[in-house]
Amino acid sequence: MSEVVIENLTKKFGNNLVLDHINLKIDSREFFVLLGPSGSGKSTLLRLIAGLEDITDGSIYIGGKKVNGVQPKDRDVAMVFQNYALYPHFSVYDNIALPLKVRGFSKDKIAQRVKEISGILHIEELLEKKPRQLSGGQQQRVALARALVRNPSIFLLDEPLSNLDAKLRVEARTFLKSLQKELGVTTIFVTHDQSEAMAMATKIAVLNRGTIKQVADPYELYMKPSDTFTAGFVGSPAMNMVPGKIVKDGNAWKFAAADMALDLKGMKFDSEAEVIMGVRPEHVVISTEGITGIISTVEPLGSVTYLEVKIGGTDIMVQYTGLARIEPNSQVKIGFALDRLLFYDKDTEKLLNK
Amino acid sequence: MNRKQATKIGLILASPLLIYFLIFFIYPIFLLFRYAFTNTAGSFSLSNFVYMSKDPILYSSLYNTLYYFIGSVAVQFSGGFLAAIVLNSYTGRLKNTFRMILYIPLTISPIVIALIWLLIFNPTYGPIDYILRTPINWLGSLNLAMPTIIVANGWEYIPFVFLIIYAGLQAVPKQYYEAASIDGMNRLQTFRYITMPSITPILVVAFLLNSIGILQGFTLVYVLTNGGPGFSTYILSFYIYKVAFAYFNLHYAAALSLLFIFIIGAFVYAMLKLTSVERYLGLKRENAGDE
Amino acid sequence: MKKLNILLLLLLIIFSLISLFPIYWTIITALKVNSEIFTTVPIFFPVKITLSNFYTPGQTFGAVSQTAFGSFPWLLNSAVIALLSALIGTFLIGAPAAYALTRYLKNVWLGRTVLLMMMIPEAALIIPFYIIIIKVNLINTWWGLTLVYLSFTAPLSTWLLMGFFSDLPRSVEEAASIDGLSAYKIFYKIAMPMIMPGIMVSIILNFINSWNEFLYALVLTYTPFPTGAQTVPLFLSDFIVIEKSFAWGGLAAAGVIVIIPTIIIGIYAQKYLVKGWTMGAVKE
Ligand SMILES: Nc1ncnc2c1ncn2[C@@H]1O[C@H](COP(=O)(O)OP(=O)(O)O)[C@@H](O)[C@H]1O
Ligand SMILES: [Mg+2]
Repeated sequence: MSEVVIENLTKKFGNNLVLDHINLKIDSREFFVLLGPSGSGKSTLLRLIAGLEDITDGSIYIGGKKVNGVQPKDRDVAMVFQNYALYPHFSVYDNIALPLKVRGFSKDKIAQRVKEISGILHIEELLEKKPRQLSGGQQQRVALARALVRNPSIFLLDEPLSNLDAKLRVEARTFLKSLQKELGVTTIFVTHDQSEAMAMATKIAVLNRGTIKQVADPYELYMKPSDTFTAGFVGSPAMNMVPGKIVKDGNAWKFAAADMALDLKGMKFDSEAEVIMGVRPEHVVISTEGITGIISTVEPLGSVTYLEVKIGGTDIMVQYTGLARIEPNSQVKIGFALDRLLFYDKDTEKLLNK
Repeated sequence: MNRKQATKIGLILASPLLIYFLIFFIYPIFLLFRYAFTNTAGSFSLSNFVYMSKDPILYSSLYNTLYYFIGSVAVQFSGGFLAAIVLNSYTGRLKNTFRMILYIPLTISPIVIALIWLLIFNPTYGPIDYILRTPINWLGSLNLAMPTIIVANGWEYIPFVFLIIYAGLQAVPKQYYEAASIDGMNRLQTFRYITMPSITPILVVAFLLNSIGILQGFTLVYVLTNGGPGFSTYILSFYIYKVAFAYFNLHYAAALSLLFIFIIGAFVYAMLKLTSVERYLGLKRENAGDE
Repeated sequence: MKKLNILLLLLLIIFSLISLFPIYWTIITALKVNSEIFTTVPIFFPVKITLSNFYTPGQTFGAVSQTAFGSFPWLLNSAVIALLSALIGTFLIGAPAAYALTRYLKNVWLGRTVLLMMMIPEAALIIPFYIIIIKVNLINTWWGLTLVYLSFTAPLSTWLLMGFFSDLPRSVEEAASIDGLSAYKIFYKIAMPMIMPGIMVSIILNFINSWNEFLYALVLTYTPFPTGAQTVPLFLSDFIVIEKSFAWGGLAAAGVIVIIPTIIIGIYAQKYLVKGWTMGAVKE
């Protein structure tokens, strides 16, 4: 009932094209994350859905109804802002009650709803306080309560966790995810933090410079990023990118780069091509045979160790599971998990081996 | 919300101001034109402007206004600047108390300033003449009347310039000075390369606001000298008042008012063209934003 | 370093003396008996203190009075008119206009118009104001003078409050619009309460400017309360004309009465006043 459909949505600020023909479908009850670097247009897209900005071109449908030109208050959406935007002169109670009050709810009904939602969010003891007396985490919960108190059909959040310190942020992720599941409200969540997106989303749309790069669930996004931008943006440390060529050698295909050559057993390509090979650090293994390189840096993190291996002029990041005493400048051999290799066309930057 | 709705809401909220503006600024200026371009019989006439061109009192009023303006700017800026630098450089407690003491004259009504200086500059019983050991007829002498008014007026408005410059000095980030001291700048170099460039916008705005305030001057002349001795302290605002309400020639006074507005307009226009004062005032932003 | 600071302190003390001495002189003159006022060697520290310049039984203000007592009808007019023009200028005109100009009507020319309204000197508009106020039969009334005083309180309020509104984060108002408040409700329930300090600045500055205004009151009012709207600066100026050479004690006492309210504001509202006076020039 409360799905969001976006068709050919374009937004310009003056001559500045900020969103370029966006098409998206967000299903009911989905936890949908808009992921992209700063300035990519995530907030603008969210604000267009909320009705805070005017559409330049295209349409937005909420629950099957076209909402172009509909006032924010009539869209049945709720929003949580990055700085929470609590009303500083109202108590927490009044902050949460206001959306109900202006919709003409009775006093009793308001009191009951506020009590319910503040119970869910564990802020009952804060109701008499003013926003400035609250900690960051508490303010965030109040902002959530204010947004959720009227059972909106769409719940919009613009980087709501970025003002929290690291520990709280991780707690809030878990909390928010289970809250969303419990309430079943269609949620659109904006973030530039790919680990946040991976942790929470049921579906992720990657945005760059005003265009959608990929829409996928976290698993697919991680395993099969459809273009080089997404491949580089999702995952930390970033995917290794090695420019080279796909060449045909008799019946077999080979990858030939400046510093390495690989036999691509069992893979098929349409034609020879200039490509960029992508491989995640955890899909590179240290082994007894393979390509020889020199370890240039060692980053022991505990459960894993990251090794940067220099092969000629190419640096390859390798994830080694467990803690190992490895000395820099020692020589190693590495191998690739062939079924995890991704090849992107050098010109179109699109994934070739789907 | 689209553009049209936004404009409508804006116009409704601004309507009290817009209506007031129409009735109390546009219509008055229209009235000024109507009066200025008619004679006492009510028919169209350029006689007011013809008379204006050869009115000796107007010429001396203009000369006095310029004298008063330049003198006041000089007194108020040097005084205000000095006080601001001194208080800003002083490192001790009571800075806010000193600031308050120094701005108190700014709260005082010009009419009381007039009274105070009547008492203080009195040649027979006043403390100034006693300290100087000679009775001087400050307000009754052709050469001293205007400087006396400039000083009395300065006493009230030096604090204004002081406050603005002091606030500007306080707003210069401390790191600039720390960087300067690491770079090995001496006091003078720091002032020249750090302080001055940082407060230039503030000086320009202070000059604009202060000038407007100075040209408002009327009360001191009215009470202290009534334009005299002779016409030596006639300034434009006082002359307009005299023509309108002592000689009851509203038509000529209207013509003089238009001249006054024109002069101020030219001054402000020049300020806007020659300086970035509009940007400093926040009227113009660097990137003009939305569509 | 130390030496320089002592020199600075010395200078500050001298400046403070220059700032305070005229006020001190007025106050002691108001408290002196006549025989201590008219002395060729001025008395800087009077010994005989009297309140008779403020009030002497049997004397009311007029040609025969030499005391400040009796200024009450003028004070009342001043208080009413200054309050009216400060409050109307702030709440009815300035705040909504400032909000409209920062949020809805982003046109440089509107801002320039406000600036222009602040810059035209009083003397240049006194003639049309006089004509208009006579025409609408409001000469010598509270409302007549209040309407004219709005010509400086309204643009100043608008200007000041524009600065405060544009410093507000937009997201709070956006949250309110999503929560369902209308644009007007957002203005007075959300945005206005958030700039309370600005509202204070505006009211205080308007009050002081109206309280101290002279030229408009001189032309547009001519009798005190209850028959007219003449304000206390006019009381003082008439008193000066009549008593210039005689009742200095009474004159000084009247001067003290006029400056007491604004000096008290000057001391207790330091934060707001300094903010108001330096706004626009100094952006934090
Ligand atoms: N109100 C606005 N006026 C002009 N340009 C804007 C406005 N809001 C955003 N932009 C521009 O649109 C682009 C995308 O901004 P935004 O949606 O905030 O990005 P994100 O949230 O992904 O960081 C940026 O280049 C930004 O400068
Ligand atoms: Mg953003």
